[in-house]
Amino acid sequence: MPAVADASLTAQFGALLPYLVVAGGGVLLLLADALSRASRRDHLYLLTVAVLLGALAAQLFGPAPERTALLRGMLGGEAYTQYFNLLFLGIALLTATFATSVFERAARYRTDFYPLLVFATLGMMILAAATDLLTLFLGLETMSLAVYVLVGGQRGSLRASEAGLKYLLLGAFASAFLLFGMGLVYGWAGGTGYADIADGLRGAGGNLLLLRAGLGLMLVAFAFKIAIVPFHMWTPDVYDGAASFVTGYMATGVKAAAFAALLRFCQLALPELGGFWWPLLAVLAVVTMIVANLVALAQDGIKRMLAWSSVAHAGYLMLGVLALLATGRQGLAATVGPASGGAVLFYLVAYSLMNLGAFGVITLLGPDRGEEADRISGYAGLARRQPLVAASLAVCLLSLAGIPPTAGFMAKFYVFGAVVKAGLVPLAIWGVVASLISVYYYLRVIVVMYMQPAGESIHDGRSWETAFATGLLALLILFLGVWPGGLQRLAEVTFRTLAG
Amino acid sequence: MTIGLTHYLVLATAVFLTGLSGVLVRRNSLIVLMSIELMLCAGNIVFAAFSRWLGDASGHVFVLMSFAVAAAEAAIGLAILVEIHRLRRSVNLDDLKTLTE
Repeated sequence: MPAVADASLTAQFGALLPYLVVAGGGVLLLLADALSRASRRDHLYLLTVAVLLGALAAQLFGPAPERTALLRGMLGGEAYTQYFNLLFLGIALLTATFATSVFERAARYRTDFYPLLVFATLGMMILAAATDLLTLFLGLETMSLAVYVLVGGQRGSLRASEAGLKYLLLGAFASAFLLFGMGLVYGWAGGTGYADIADGLRGAGGNLLLLRAGLGLMLVAFAFKIAIVPFHMWTPDVYDGAASFVTGYMATGVKAAAFAALLRFCQLALPELGGFWWPLLAVLAVVTMIVANLVALAQDGIKRMLAWSSVAHAGYLMLGVLALLATGRQGLAATVGPASGGAVLFYLVAYSLMNLGAFGVITLLGPDRGEEADRISGYAGLARRQPLVAASLAVCLLSLAGIPPTAGFMAKFYVFGAVVKAGLVPLAIWGVVASLISVYYYLRVIVVMYMQPAGESIHDGRSWETAFATGLLALLILFLGVWPGGLQRLAEVTFRTLAG
Repeated sequence: MTIGLTHYLVLATAVFLTGLSGVLVRRNSLIVLMSIELMLCAGNIVFAAFSRWLGDASGHVFVLMSFAVAAAEAAIGLAILVEIHRLRRSVNLDDLKTLTE
């Protein structure tokens, strides 16, 4: 049977171009990697930057985002998609920059890093744009499979291989829950599109057991990817064992992509029925914030500390999602809904900036010092040796702690504000208590850097690209802390494009 | 007695639980990987059964896609396992303690 040509496909080409550039670029990078001699691979970095910049340009200067479904309802093409695609491409660019400075010094990391980075970014873009269970699954797996190899792909490093195996086993375990849950939801709704689920909910009285079971299993998978308690066990080990620049990429990109998909799923597929997930999520969010912050207090390694901190931040972000779900239940969706969705979007950008900055500095100082490099005590006296780098790290940590005037403070302010507006004052109080606890362990690093004399283990890693990038991130964090209005409005308007 | 949708769902649940208990109980990472494949397989059975029941082809498409994903996952898992075995001469999960020490 001859296939009927999809007339609208030509019209969608412009909107699909960023995905095509990234996918084609990834294949090109694989080829270039295979064909180039092992000794000269610096041009791979340049090619990666070209691919990512090309996709950025295609996204920025392409056709204006519309609320049309791409590929017959598989991907959403609205401003929400554009917002996240720009974020992911930016994260990938910075990660590639951090990585290349390491590759110059330590060759063992260099195992097909660039193509995997590009494919992982493609997975994130698909995941954030998914409006169908199929694209949700494929986007998540494209991202995860590439990241498993990024984590485990340091030749001869037992730590990295072990981290990779742990991440793979638990990640695949979570995917199995996701697939099984999706199967049940598909059976209930009669289709795999988010619209099918929303239609089914609008029409249904009847038996919701199948849907409840399916959504419960899917929630387990989401909780694994964004690392909230009790599905966070892998986080410290994996973040610790992976190379620092990969950890930075995971902490920002993977988490942002999973939250983007979760928000879109809640908004499009479950407009009236946040009630399924709500009570459970509220408990999990509070437990996540408190437990993660308390455990982070006891960490000696800076990467383990930041791993727990990223678990805690997943808890804060979850508060924003809860505010969104709560407004759906209370009929406040038109007023408070976009504010809470926008707050999460703002938070994800701020969080990505500060975590990338912190992991950039760790990457800069790390690779030559071996495994002891991660000890917080190793940062003693850094302020005197490298004042600019120390200042960048200090800004990132203050922002993570949520101290004004930084982006992290404004992000928490917006999220907690939305939570209060949604009428969930106890949750907001728990959030504030948790972030007060967290101030201690962030400040400890700053105290060590500025107040303690340098020990022997100090190492002066120098790389102008990384230093420049982290400095730029620190300035951006301060800028967003002082003038947050622009991005906040953009985030809210962006989220409105999603509202079904 | 005809074999209907319920039988397939019960079968899928049984396979899923078998895989789940394998993941939770066994300490050999190769067996754990195989158990995860069983769990993915259970998801495929659910999709195929509903697809037939609904008379809707998108479930079958989903199954084909998830085959590819499961194969890729197994390939990556085995590659990492080979690397770990080379370095440590063991694939027992209890021996993997480099990161927690």
